[in-house]
Amino acid sequence: MRLFIMIQGIAIRESAGVGDQAQRRLMRGVDDLDFFIGDEAVDKPNYATKTEPPLNTPENREYLAEIMFETFNVPGLYIAVQAVLALAASWTSRAVGERTLTGIVIDSGDGVTHAIPVAEGYVIGSCIKHIPIAGRDITYFIQQLLREREIGIPPEQSLETAKAVKERYCYICPDIVKEFTKYDADPGKWIKKYRGINAISKNEFLIDVGYERFLGPEIFFHPEFANPDFMQPISDVVDEVIQNCPIDNIVLSGGSTMFRDFGRRLQRDLKRVVDARLKLSEELSGGRIKPKPIEVQVVTHHMQRYAVWFGGSMLASTPEFFHVCHTKKDYEEYGPSICRHNPVFGIMS
Amino acid sequence: MPAYHSNLMEADTKLVGNMALLPLRTQYKGPAPKETRDSDIIEEAIYHFKANVFFKNYEIKNEADRTLIYVTLYISECLKKLQKCTSKSQGEKEMYTLGITNFPIPGEPGFPLNAMYTKPSNKGEEETMRGYLQQLRQETGLRLCERVFDAQTDKPSKASLCPFLHSMCQ
Repeated sequence: MRLFIMIQGIAIRESAGVGDQAQRRLMRGVDDLDFFIGDEAVDKPNYATKTEPPLNTPENREYLAEIMFETFNVPGLYIAVQAVLALAASWTSRAVGERTLTGIVIDSGDGVTHAIPVAEGYVIGSCIKHIPIAGRDITYFIQQLLREREIGIPPEQSLETAKAVKERYCYICPDIVKEFTKYDADPGKWIKKYRGINAISKNEFLIDVGYERFLGPEIFFHPEFANPDFMQPISDVVDEVIQNCPIDNIVLSGGSTMFRDFGRRLQRDLKRVVDARLKLSEELSGGRIKPKPIEVQVVTHHMQRYAVWFGGSMLASTPEFFHVCHTKKDYEEYGPSICRHNPVFGIMS
Repeated sequence: MPAYHSNLMEADTKLVGNMALLPLRTQYKGPAPKETRDSDIIEEAIYHFKANVFFKNYEIKNEADRTLIYVTLYISECLKKLQKCTSKSQGEKEMYTLGITNFPIPGEPGFPLNAMYTKPSNKGEEETMRGYLQQLRQETGLRLCERVFDAQTDKPSKASLCPFLHSMCQ
């Protein structure tokens, strides 16, 4: 049995038998690791893949290696960068010849969104950009909108109601003004009902879900709705990253990129920014320079939500994996510093 | 990313202060020229209102935008009043009163956005401005009543009213 665990503790294979409770705990140290892996791994040790965020320090990797080899007795360990695994996961939606570990990964989870450029499996650390808008902000925004309008929601459940509404009914629209008119013209078609249960009285409450459906995820493209300090839309941030690292391949990963049409809208907005710039440069040069139109491509695939886990799972199933893993024998001979460097593999497959 | 701007600015539009004196489709008397096209500035403001309230910053691109902003702010005032109305006829009365009550114009202490709008330079311009703003207010109030009140229940529709308790700050 293979066990693949993520440092943020979000995706855990069902066979490990650890349920919802595990998903909410944050990994903070050895004790947490113990909880996740449990006795099974210690009795039947297996090769492990751990993931790390980009710009992780080598000392952290050594510490991790110590824990894995000493406490859990794994025979082999490989520490992979999350963005690279997300790129590997995107291979499911491409032809064999196009599989590459080069791209810009837009990783959006609950806490923060990153745009990470990766070239041939190596992260270009100086060009990473952060966006302080992520799943949690969308949930708060929806909670605010619902609170003003709906009276049936029990106050202590308002956040989880907002979360459920977000995950079930939200989508990205091409233009908010047109959506507003669509909703006003035909409310029966667009306004949905959500049925929740009051945890204390066990009664049902019914609420209308209306404009939040498209306004929630819209904050990616208009951050000022939710955050007064940050105003750059995600398409502009990605454009900056592309300017710094000319990579035309964009891959999405993480739960908050799962909104319907997120990829399409991002592609459209990016294309607009890029086209405007090309047009400007053509005008400024008096029509002499005609830049070649740039193809903007955003890749979406089925495993986006757990893209990092899936990428890790895929790469670890290849035979090459065992060659690049650091073995316990090497650890005992040379010490934890062997884990500072984890070679990139899988490009040939 | 900017909020929605007005498309109605033309080269020959007259200005009053630094607001555009845009044509209106209205029965009320005043300095505004008659609008021949389908959509006028009030229609635009109402159409974009729901989106515009969420934007905390608004970039003024042209003078028509200033008119748009004024109408948008007035719409939120009207909606606050309409929330308390229980029927369409009551709503219409409230709107009429709100439209003609003494209101501040740019340059006077009560006007909310004095920083963006210039004072009228002479008495004549002041009269024109007051007349135009009054026209805007009355026509906006009338159109809002049409939109907000539900035909069957004769009560303000939930969807129109509640999101607008946000204040649009600049």
